Amino acid sequence: MTDTASAPEATEAGEAAEAVDGRVPVTVLTGFLGSGKTTLLNRILTEEHGMRIAVIENEFGEVGIDDALVLDAEEEIFEMNNGCICCTVRGDLIRILGALMRRREKFDRILIETTGLADPAPVAQTFFMDDEIASQLRLDAIVTLVDAAHVVQHLDEEKPEGVENEAVEQIAFADRVVLNKTDLVDEATIAEVEARVRVINTPVQILRTQHANVALHQVLDVGAFDLDRVLKDDPAFLTETEHQHDTTVTSVGIELDGELDEDRLNAWLGHLLRTKGVDIFRSKGILAIAGAPKQYVFQGVHMLLDGEFGRDWREGEQLRNRLVFIGRNLDREALERGFADCLATAGAAA
Amino acid sequence: MSVTAPDQALAVAWEIRIDDAPVALSARGDLVAVAGAEGAVRVLDAAMGAEMGALDLPGGALDVELAPDARHLAVTGPLGYALWRRDDGCTTVRESGAWSAAAAWADGSKVAVASGRRALVLDADGAELWRTEPAASTVTDLAWMRQGRRLAVAAYGAVCCHERHTEKPVVTYPYIGSHLALAVAPTGRWICSGNQDASIHIWRTRDASELTMSGYPEKVSRLAFDESGFWLAADGAPDVTVWDFSGKGPVGTAPRSLRCHETITALAWRPGAAGHLASGGDDGTVALWHATAGRPESRLRPARELDGDGSAVAALAWAGPHLLVTAHRDGRVRAYGVPSRNAL
Repeated sequence: MTDTASAPEATEAGEAAEAVDGRVPVTVLTGFLGSGKTTLLNRILTEEHGMRIAVIENEFGEVGIDDALVLDAEEEIFEMNNGCICCTVRGDLIRILGALMRRREKFDRILIETTGLADPAPVAQTFFMDDEIASQLRLDAIVTLVDAAHVVQHLDEEKPEGVENEAVEQIAFADRVVLNKTDLVDEATIAEVEARVRVINTPVQILRTQHANVALHQVLDVGAFDLDRVLKDDPAFLTETEHQHDTTVTSVGIELDGELDEDRLNAWLGHLLRTKGVDIFRSKGILAIAGAPKQYVFQGVHMLLDGEFGRDWREGEQLRNRLVFIGRNLDREALERGFADCLATAGAAA
Repeated sequence: MSVTAPDQALAVAWEIRIDDAPVALSARGDLVAVAGAEGAVRVLDAAMGAEMGALDLPGGALDVELAPDARHLAVTGPLGYALWRRDDGCTTVRESGAWSAAAAWADGSKVAVASGRRALVLDADGAELWRTEPAASTVTDLAWMRQGRRLAVAAYGAVCCHERHTEKPVVTYPYIGSHLALAVAPTGRWICSGNQDASIHIWRTRDASELTMSGYPEKVSRLAFDESGFWLAADGAPDVTVWDFSGKGPVGTAPRSLRCHETITALAWRPGAAGHLASGGDDGTVALWHATAGRPESRLRPARELDGDGSAVAALAWAGPHLLVTAHRDGRVRAYGVPSRNAL
């Protein structure tokens, strides 16, 4: 009878295997020159963490680690021929990641370093738009390093009409902001920088540090694009921030109880992303769909949206919808109104 | 009941293992060459699998091509390229640091290699004969036309055709999007590119008229014309699609669909046998097809399936009509005898 004792274990192992994502995690590390990015990169490559990391770097020759698998990438932004104006991908990354995956037994994870001038959207969109990449790799998080002493100056930099402020964009896209060099500024400056970051990207987790000395698990195992973990580790999800600066890039968080009409939600979200997708950098949410026993979780980059049903709503749990948009010129009132109209109960009133 | 396996299994002529994950195969004359992801290249005798030469390309390999006369070899990779000469085993390595995605021999004396955003045309010993101006992106694929006088270069936004006398293209075939694979019909009538946006774009060379075959579920990164130039095989879906390019071409037609693999990883037409195609999948299966049988829109079943022991097929090549070489990710390179010219 001892043979049967293994049966329950086998079941558990089976369930565990189902939960484990076998894809190779990819971290995007971005930040301006002087933010401490190279210091962090070198730490990640030299520290004893038992992980083998392949690095794709944009600034050639920065990392000089023997035996490290380091590949050089020159930014090649490709438009997709699908009529979607903001659907750009990074051709260089598709090419390099494709070649790397043929050597996948050589490393456990991939780190993509981009320059402070790179647009994060095509980088993130590459993981949505290329099936081969999406099936073998998962974007873990976009980590943005900022220099506490200089970031405000970058954020305030006046750009000509139609030109993006890259510092703003990089913070808007970030899942983690590593606020580096806090030893070089006083507490008031740190508070100001954090407030500025929060206006742009309300849910982002900010990690204060010096000499890029951040705990690696806080930047390497984030699961920010993992639908199971959407919003889970974002305590500041709906924290209202004071609008003390005239910024065009902000976050709009919406929290609303009740069940949503699926058709109206699809119509609203579809229309919103089609018409405003260029300005909506990132979106994520957990929603209660009428008639569905499970939470619907989604996250998106510009017009691209990835969603699926997550865990069951618990017995007696408040059916609370939570979503956040980070973008340019967001109209909070219109978003709130549009979303409220998706409530199943709103149909009767209309 | 098995619908596919004929009574007799194909005999394995030889099998070797390389200490690298194969990425590309080439077969010409009496030689077979295999290149691995880490840059190991082995040149083998096609009949026996005996090693005839070896070299290493630092930084890894992406493509390997034997010259038509089997006297020279070019291997390309993420950090450069290398040439090998059969007579004395002499190897010339160029670590340029530039991404070199593909090589294509015009004849035994001239080879084009992609090098970053340019294509370089070299003599068989590696001396540069001419080069193209930089394309809009890193060059993704190359093909010779007009008996080696014109070179087609695929990159982002266009396929550009170059000739020796000028760095600038002599003809540009623009199409927005990233062209991942290039195939030129041996008749010279058609240029086809497989695209990141899940389509095949086609130009008729006579008048540059265009056609797009869209609706693929995935990007199209493998295209292959058979030696007649009448048939084009493509990936981009779980099914291999086979388009009829005879007569007026594929306008208004539907392809034949070959269903066997989940993900296609290799395609190779059998030389000297009309319509015989080999395809490989990431589950390790190799399928052999009468790919042009039936009517357009037919869904075909393999004439034969070869079990790859579960290791993904990395590349396929025919060393003449009677020997099919398969390379698997686990390092195995295997040759099957295919005795009948008419059957598979």
